[in-house]
Formats: sequence, C-alpha cells, structure tokens
Amino acid sequence: MLNPLRSEQEAFRFLLWVVGVVAVIVLVVLAARAIF
Amino acid sequence: MEAGSIAAGHALDGGHADDHGHEAHPPEAHRSSRVDPQMLGMLLFIISEIMIFGAFFTAYFFIRVVANDEWPAPEMELPVGIAGVNTAILLSSSLTLHWALTSVKNGNRFGLKAGMLSTFLLGAAFLSIQVNEYVHVGFAPSDHAQGSVFYGLTGLHGAHVFVGLSLLAMVTVRAWRGHFTEAEHRGVEIPGIYWHFVDVMWVVVYSSIYIL
Repeated sequence: MLNPLRSEQEAFRFLLWVVGVVAVIVLVVLAARAIF
Repeated sequence: MEAGSIAAGHALDGGHADDHGHEAHPPEAHRSSRVDPQMLGMLLFIISEIMIFGAFFTAYFFIRVVANDEWPAPEMELPVGIAGVNTAILLSSSLTLHWALTSVKNGNRFGLKAGMLSTFLLGAAFLSIQVNEYVHVGFAPSDHAQGSVFYGLTGLHGAHVFVGLSLLAMVTVRAWRGHFTEAEHRGVEIPGIYWHFVDVMWVVVYSSIYIL
C-alpha cells in the first residue's frame, strides 16, 4: 500500500497520484456543470 | 545532607535506584520498533497539519455548500492563469527535490546540490509570485467572507511554503558542506516528505479556490 510518510519516494508517488485524482475530479465537476 | 551524599554515591556507582526507588538517570526512551523516530515525528506533525488545513477547508465548504454563497464573490477576480503557472512551478520543485534525493542515493553529489538549489529557487519563486498576487488581487480579507477564506487558505499554505523553504535552505547548505552520503541522507528525505506534503496541499487548495 502507498504510504507517503514512509519515504520521499513514496511521498513523491503520492503527490503524482493526488495530481491525477484531483485532475479527474475537476474534469468531472466541470463537465457536470457544463451539461446540467 | 546525608540523603544527598547517598544519592551522589549511587550516581557515581552506576546510577542505581535511591532510597525512594528513583533512578539517578532518566529511563531509556520508548521507541517504536517499526518506525524510525524522525519519521514518526514527521508523521505526527503531518497528521496535525492535515487537521489545521481541514479546519480552513471547513470554512471554505461552509461558505460554498452550507451558506450557498457565490464563489468567487461578485467583485472578486482570481488570477487563475498566474496561479496555474505558479502551481506548475511548485510541482516542478517536487520533481527537482526527487532528483536531488535520487542523486544522493546514487552517490551523485552534483545532482544533490543542483537538485536542492533548484528546489529552493523554485519554492522561492512560488512564494514571491504569491506575494505579488496579494499586492495586485484587489480585495482584502475584511471585504467579505470569500476574501477571508481566500487569504486564510492561501496564506496558511504560504506559511507552510516559508517553513519548507527554511528547511530546504538548511538542507542545501548541508549538501554543499558534504553532510549527506549514499548511506546517510535522512536529512534530505524527511524535509522532502514535508515538501511533497506542502505540494499535495497546494494541489487541493488551487483546485478548490481557483478552478471549482
């Protein structure tokens, strides 16, 4: 399991994961707003 | 006087318990057998930081979800583009920090020094742009609740960047002095975790405040 507090390597991977997840959430919300 | 002499005598002959059952020296610190003490300290610190950011995000979501106020406020104009470039700068600093740590693990001293210096400069650029944004954004924290939340959240994050920059400055100086090796580089690793945490928080702050 990804533990961002175990090492810098995992913290960096966690940052990339957050960037990806937040980008998806933002796109979904913006798309939903445009449609409804 | 006599009790004092007895205690001093015990301390000299190895620190056994005195007449009251007290040790003459502090007991051994309790340590986790699974987590490094430095790592545990950073873990607890970051958990407390998440709670602080959580309190500020509660104010933000209260305005938007509970009070259903307009975001941004009608007279507020947020510089989404400039803040987006600033976001890219901050994310780049995580990349250079990761390069620095990878370098020291591989015995590459140049990579460590160049990585740390560029991380510090990128972080300083982020903070300067944010200060410039405050100067030109055109509203004050006292103007409306949205302004208070904007300055509160971005200011809280900015304070964390400032703390992170102080840590990075120390690590950079130590890198130049040759304090880190392939085997011993916790002094880079642990501030690195903090810096990535600051970047993670910014991704959430930027998305909430500027985009959504």
